[in-house]
Amino acid sequence: MSVKMTKLSDGASGMFIQSLRFNTTLISFNFYLPLKRENVAVNALLPFVLTTCGEKYPDFSRLNYKLNKLYGARLSASAEKIGDFQLLKMAISVIDDKYTLDNEQLTQQACELLQSLLFEPKLADGAFHDSDVEREKRKAIEHIRGELSEKRIYAKNRMIEEMFSDEDYGVSKCGTEEDVQKITGESLYDAWRNLLAHAYIHVNVISRNLPSGLFETLSEKLSSINRSYITDFSAVRPTKAATEVKTVTERMDVAQGKLVMGFSSDICGEGERATSLMVMADIFGGGPYSRLFSNVREKMSLCYYCAATSVRIKGLVVVESGVEAQNAQKARNEILNQLEIMKNGDFTDFEFESSIKGITDSLKSSNDSQETIDIWYSVKMCSGRLYSPEDVIQELSCVTRENVIKAAQGIKLNTEYLLLPKEENK
Amino acid sequence: MKKEVFESPIGESYVKAVHPSGLKIYIMEKSQYSSAYAIFGTKYGSIDTCFSLNDGQAVSVPEGIAHFLEHKLFESEDGDAFTRYAKTGASANAFTSFDRTCYLFSCSDKFYDNLEILLDFVQSPYFTDQTVQKEQGIIGQEIRMYDDSPAWRVMFNMLSSMYHNHPVKIDIAGTVESIGEIDAELLYKCYNTFYNPANMFVCIAGNVDTERILKQINDSIKAKDPVSIERCLVDEPKNIVSDYVEQKLEVAMPMFCLGFKQKIDTPLRRLKSKVCMSLLLEIICGDSSPLYAQLVRGGYINDEFSAEYFNGYGYAAVIFEGESKDPKFVAEKIKQEISRIKETGIDKKLFSAVKCGMYGDAIRRFNNVDGIAMQLVECAMCDYDLFEEIKLLKTVTADDVYKRLDVFDNENAVLSVINPKES
Repeated sequence: MSVKMTKLSDGASGMFIQSLRFNTTLISFNFYLPLKRENVAVNALLPFVLTTCGEKYPDFSRLNYKLNKLYGARLSASAEKIGDFQLLKMAISVIDDKYTLDNEQLTQQACELLQSLLFEPKLADGAFHDSDVEREKRKAIEHIRGELSEKRIYAKNRMIEEMFSDEDYGVSKCGTEEDVQKITGESLYDAWRNLLAHAYIHVNVISRNLPSGLFETLSEKLSSINRSYITDFSAVRPTKAATEVKTVTERMDVAQGKLVMGFSSDICGEGERATSLMVMADIFGGGPYSRLFSNVREKMSLCYYCAATSVRIKGLVVVESGVEAQNAQKARNEILNQLEIMKNGDFTDFEFESSIKGITDSLKSSNDSQETIDIWYSVKMCSGRLYSPEDVIQELSCVTRENVIKAAQGIKLNTEYLLLPKEENK
Repeated sequence: MKKEVFESPIGESYVKAVHPSGLKIYIMEKSQYSSAYAIFGTKYGSIDTCFSLNDGQAVSVPEGIAHFLEHKLFESEDGDAFTRYAKTGASANAFTSFDRTCYLFSCSDKFYDNLEILLDFVQSPYFTDQTVQKEQGIIGQEIRMYDDSPAWRVMFNMLSSMYHNHPVKIDIAGTVESIGEIDAELLYKCYNTFYNPANMFVCIAGNVDTERILKQINDSIKAKDPVSIERCLVDEPKNIVSDYVEQKLEVAMPMFCLGFKQKIDTPLRRLKSKVCMSLLLEIICGDSSPLYAQLVRGGYINDEFSAEYFNGYGYAAVIFEGESKDPKFVAEKIKQEISRIKETGIDKKLFSAVKCGMYGDAIRRFNNVDGIAMQLVECAMCDYDLFEEIKLLKTVTADDVYKRLDVFDNENAVLSVINPKES
């Protein structure tokens, strides 16, 4: 596998990741904007509207029909929150031309389709069409409401919302239902213009061959736009350490309680210290060798899952667990006890080595999936330097027990969120 | 060992071998990849609650025992399999479904060490009443988690209203009560029945060497007397229990699952039926279909909407599910669309487009080693050739697909709905 970066225009880059192992070509357009509470919703809706219709494909049925004719090409959209940035993605994946039954030029058509959806949306009088906007708004609102159905996700989002209540990071990745309601064809049009003018743009192509002319065409199109005040990736606000722990309890008609704990870390970003934080979170509550799995689940039999993850780009560590209401306090105390063990360096060499081996092994397989490669590089863009999985493997080999202990010592409890069954169900 | 090589027109190939014990082995080498994925599985799932052995005596076991056994098999007298995998860095897991239990790992290093761990622990049961008791707490929490999952509940409520007797209607993990009846002796009884190599398979895809794997498997498979397992034939009426079922849960929007029970005369479906049914479902409600457009425009469905042909040993149904402000309206529209297609026939243009799309999907599935290994499991379970689907997709006709409309009988349709709780 080889990776080659090309400058497309100011604040826009193209990356060709050549790999011979796949029978498809994946092209993704990634847009980075500062995460701002007031426009998260309208930005997040954009990739979804753009990938359901366009000037050439005025309705989604015709677009989907075209995708079928392109041998089931997959068009996808997403809006993610990556630290203090919003990452909006539109991507297409198509099988290589050599597998077609009538020598069709699929890759070229897929490239043109994706560009046409971005640069030639379906507009009327300086606005997106109401019917398209309203359809996607409804789906977005139903998606936001739908989070309530999966209590594990709901509880984690609620914890983040509470922990960062006075920061933009507290907003959910698709924004609030109220903000989605306010979107109009005009405001979405403004968001699209803003995206093209100010977002940092990064294009990933993962395939056997770089589709001819793709980067050149993109470069031309972007150069014709007056691009300025491009997203600055250095504007990062690390998670603040709390002076006192915030505790929030919510009650619902559920069978099982959920406990989510948010911790601040004194490490934020990428690099050797961040890699130590990744190992620390993994020994604490990552794989089945972790302290939380082997103690809270296996020894104490308190839960089915109890896991820790680190959001290094924000300097955040989250612990999640599903427990019976009467065991919630017991689980909480044991989670904190295990964190103390980490801070005191009382984890075993076996746990330390297992973690390094486990993370290394899984990083080595990252290049076996186009989606993983795409997500890896599009997320790493936010940290200013393009770390490859191999770079992180290299850093892992240098992490010591002392680095891990130090990372653990920089962890501080910030917010506890508990979702409990209603009193009468207890 | 008996060995056969299967080649495909798209440049992929795999080996199928049968060990003298009856164990089936499927291997696809993908030398360009860094990782490999291996599955050791048995044809034993949640529906196997009643069976008879060589002596002919029928045995009934508690609901959820196959899943319970999966959890317990990771433990042995001297530590658990996860601890062993921790030394190699592999990522290991297992799952139990209606008709199978699979143990798996993925790794990019030390593949043969990992395969040794997998082959060893799955063949080395160690159950004591004490360790069984500990697991009851953990699985109890897993069951409680699913009790709160509307997507899970809407499906099982539908199955309970569709099937009178077939154990497919039972929750895979059982209930807190049923798993309370499990003890070490019962686990051994099930293990000794279903974990016989003749009832098992190994499926591997990735950067591996076939000959080396075959030798390693040959050296480590423990000889056992073959068992003949008779699954108790369930007397399942062709009609449904009830056409509507509803539950209230903490959801913001109603969820639904509409199932059409298929009348079947033989326990298993052929691959051609499955391929034709997948095409038919795309024509009825896929994202280029007129029905999909109508329902999306009307605000009745969103991206959660999907359809599947649900089938296994002794059961088959077509299921539509999703979220909707009005599930009854959606169910009605689906039934109307099926009637319309029955009358007017299959739209040839749409048929050709969805066939093209499915052909691409079939090619795309060879992109990931985990996906390939899972497909090989399907081959082992149903005795298919992995490349059969691609061949079928070239020859299948609109008439073949039209014939599958017979499966839909409105008299045997069940609508399951999860409604929000009134606050």
